[in-house]
Amino acid sequence: MQSIIILSILVLLAPLVGGLVYGIERKVKARMQNRMGPNILQPFYDFFKLADKRLVMVHSTHAFLGVMHFISIWVAVAVLIFGGDLILVIFLHLLSTALLIMGGFSTRSIFSHLGANRTAISILAYEPVLIIMAVSIYAVNGSFQISSIIGSEPLLYKMPLTFIALLLILPIKLKKSPFDVAEAHQEIAGGAEIEYSGIFFEAIYTAKWLDYIFVYALVFLFGGSNYLLGAGLVVGTFIYLNALDNSSARVDYRQMLKFSYFVALPVAFINLLITLFN
Amino acid sequence: MRSLQLLVLSLFALPPIAGLLLLILPKVLGRIVTILSVVALSAISVYLFVNFDKPFQILIPGYSDKAVMIADVLLLAYFAFIAIKRKSVLVGLLTIGQAIALGYLIKLLGNHEGGIHAQFYVDRLSLFMFLLINIVSGIIATYSLQYIDEEDCSPYRKKFFMFTMLWFIGVMNLVVSADNLEYFFLFFELTTLASYIFISFRKDKESVTNALRALWMNQIGGIAILGAMIFSLSTIGYETLSFQTLVTSAHTVGLLLPLALLAVAALIKGAQMPFSSWLLGAMVAPTPVSALLHSSTMVKIAPFIILRLAPAIKGTHLSLAIIALTGFVFLAAAISALAQDNFKRILAFSTVSLLGLMILMAAIGTQTAIVTSLILILFHGISKCMLFLNAGVLEKKFHLKSALDMDKLAESGPFTSFIVCIGFISLMLPPFGAFIGKWFSIEILGSTLRETRGLTALVMLAIACGGAVLSLLYFKVMGLLIARSGEKDKVTFETTHPLYNINLVLLLSLILAGVICLPFLLIGYFGPVASDVLGSAVAVDVQSNFSISIGNMSFPVIPMILAFLVLPVSLFISLFVRFKKVDRVKEYACGEKIDYKFNSFYFDTEFLLPYFKAVGLVFFALIIILTVI
Repeated sequence: MQSIIILSILVLLAPLVGGLVYGIERKVKARMQNRMGPNILQPFYDFFKLADKRLVMVHSTHAFLGVMHFISIWVAVAVLIFGGDLILVIFLHLLSTALLIMGGFSTRSIFSHLGANRTAISILAYEPVLIIMAVSIYAVNGSFQISSIIGSEPLLYKMPLTFIALLLILPIKLKKSPFDVAEAHQEIAGGAEIEYSGIFFEAIYTAKWLDYIFVYALVFLFGGSNYLLGAGLVVGTFIYLNALDNSSARVDYRQMLKFSYFVALPVAFINLLITLFN
Repeated sequence: MRSLQLLVLSLFALPPIAGLLLLILPKVLGRIVTILSVVALSAISVYLFVNFDKPFQILIPGYSDKAVMIADVLLLAYFAFIAIKRKSVLVGLLTIGQAIALGYLIKLLGNHEGGIHAQFYVDRLSLFMFLLINIVSGIIATYSLQYIDEEDCSPYRKKFFMFTMLWFIGVMNLVVSADNLEYFFLFFELTTLASYIFISFRKDKESVTNALRALWMNQIGGIAILGAMIFSLSTIGYETLSFQTLVTSAHTVGLLLPLALLAVAALIKGAQMPFSSWLLGAMVAPTPVSALLHSSTMVKIAPFIILRLAPAIKGTHLSLAIIALTGFVFLAAAISALAQDNFKRILAFSTVSLLGLMILMAAIGTQTAIVTSLILILFHGISKCMLFLNAGVLEKKFHLKSALDMDKLAESGPFTSFIVCIGFISLMLPPFGAFIGKWFSIEILGSTLRETRGLTALVMLAIACGGAVLSLLYFKVMGLLIARSGEKDKVTFETTHPLYNINLVLLLSLILAGVICLPFLLIGYFGPVASDVLGSAVAVDVQSNFSISIGNMSFPVIPMILAFLVLPVSLFISLFVRFKKVDRVKEYACGEKIDYKFNSFYFDTEFLLPYFKAVGLVFFALIIILTVI
């Protein structure tokens, strides 16, 4: 009973933590570029600013789908924190992305459509790797349940290549350079989220915070019961992602797909084969 | 017991009788007869399932064996007639091949007269198929009453179409309950005949070509079944024509060739590559035909046969070969689908792909795999049926065939666009049944990795990638048909003919009800059916932490409820929700005022299809070679 309360609190706090992560990220990124960077609480100031903006939308369906995107990603994070089935969690996350994509498609806006198309392509790029990751974890650990993965010995030593594959596709998942084709601001002005504004953009904006939690929780899993190792991995991944984001230029979506299928996926798959034949 | 047998017999007899009545009655009366008979059929199949306790055989008089033999000969004569009339060498040669095999079989039967037992065997799997066949095909039949009425052809041909549809439903009921392979062969060939009649219905050149292709491909399946019978009769240990005896004695005999041949027949019926082109060619027929072939009937014979064979082939080389083939087809068909623009062709490729998954799960044959296969068969049937019936509405009402032209559908036909959306989503996302199939298959393959290693790992990779490709495909189509401009905030549903509307709403509610009832269905429906398939009890239990365990897997209920609230419910709300006191803006177009035609990425994967087919052929050869060795 007590653990359920703790987990529920964790779920409720998830957006706040995600916001903090985002704040730190902006700071770290700025420092990497020799800038001062905003206050760590800046995302929350932005949050209140957005809430105060004039209410504007394209049409109700579109706006509502944005809100549902936020709620569905919270559901995915909740199932993850409560230790549900890993594959199910991956697909629940797909569900939330699907709602964003459908939101993007639901207006007659060029950039919105282009962004939604590209988000769908990104799913094609990262989803197989996530699934192979989940199956590899099963091959090592004998369970798809996150609650039992987190209680087992560290996965990192047994599946280093899978972890590398995860690192390779995370920029696609989080829309970071060099794989930020889905929201490329210079080209398609934010992609699927472009038509959201004010309180409706708030939903998309906070959904991004939750996305951070989702991704870093996946990274944390590799530490197993060694929480310290997990935390170390999260910090390392965080620095890696931001350094990469700062230092690389955007690639074409075709190059992204090729990279994912000819580099990341084989890397993950080789690790799976090694586990099986050991 | 006796009454159940009679009810099963009525499932066989009622559709053709209704069809005959339809031929002679005037239009309105014919409609009433059709609707009444499909309601009766559905009611009977539900009643049967509810009141069923243990598998039973149906004994029929001895002279019917002779009748079946004569019918076989007549059917072959008709095929020969088609071959001469259409000047098709291939059909002719295959008919001659079938005739020779049949002749040899009759000679063999002379020696083995005593070996034949009861001709029909009804277990929960048959009842499961009855439910799918009669309810979903019944919906299609009522729908096509109106659809075929709008078709440009003579009233007689319209009646003939409905007649064919109804007797075909009857034949399907026969197929899933036949135990004697000789009977099974006849019914299998009758479904082939039905597909020929359906596909050539429009009588233009393309229809005839495609119909002939469907005919010769399925005739290969027929030859395979004949071969299975001959080998079974001449192999010491089998010497039987009974499906059940064949399956149960396979372990002691060890030689699987008859089973492999049956599996080949199944895979051809199930349009696995390289035999996918017959199903794709079926697109030229009126749309209800596609709905019928793709969802509840024709192609579902494939997973049905493999499910019947599952206990015997589990863990053998034969099942490995089938797993390899279908895993490959799942990915290959999904990739091929990306290149398509025609709405029905997209659906057809996704059917081929998902059929691969169903057969794959059936071939794995563990408790959970069987349950997964059943889940996929049922929910894929309902969703695909809805999508195809919608394709019909799109053609008749909106005159749209290509997905690329649908970019204003959400404004002119919001209801149609919504239903198509739900249809696609129900094939890929939680909490829908077909998604559960995808999810479980990955976990099942993952959990069998330890034993089979390399091969299953590759198949698992194919499923993971294929699933992602299918999602992209569905997004690609959905993206084109849900766009509304900001001026159209209020949604007013279009009006379509009530016969269209009612059936679509019915299917939609079946899908939603399926999601809500899934935990109960798992316990009271899929579990028992899977037990009958395997011949041993499948443990489906409720766990303390609100989850249902099936074999070694667990199905958590709470996340599924959340997913249900998030997805179908919220989509429904999103259609009706109106935010008041919110200002409206136009879409951002970088300051330009243009009327933009929406499009999706173009995927050039068409050129891969011949290679896929070649690989598929290699796998087919492997199935036979591995069993012979």
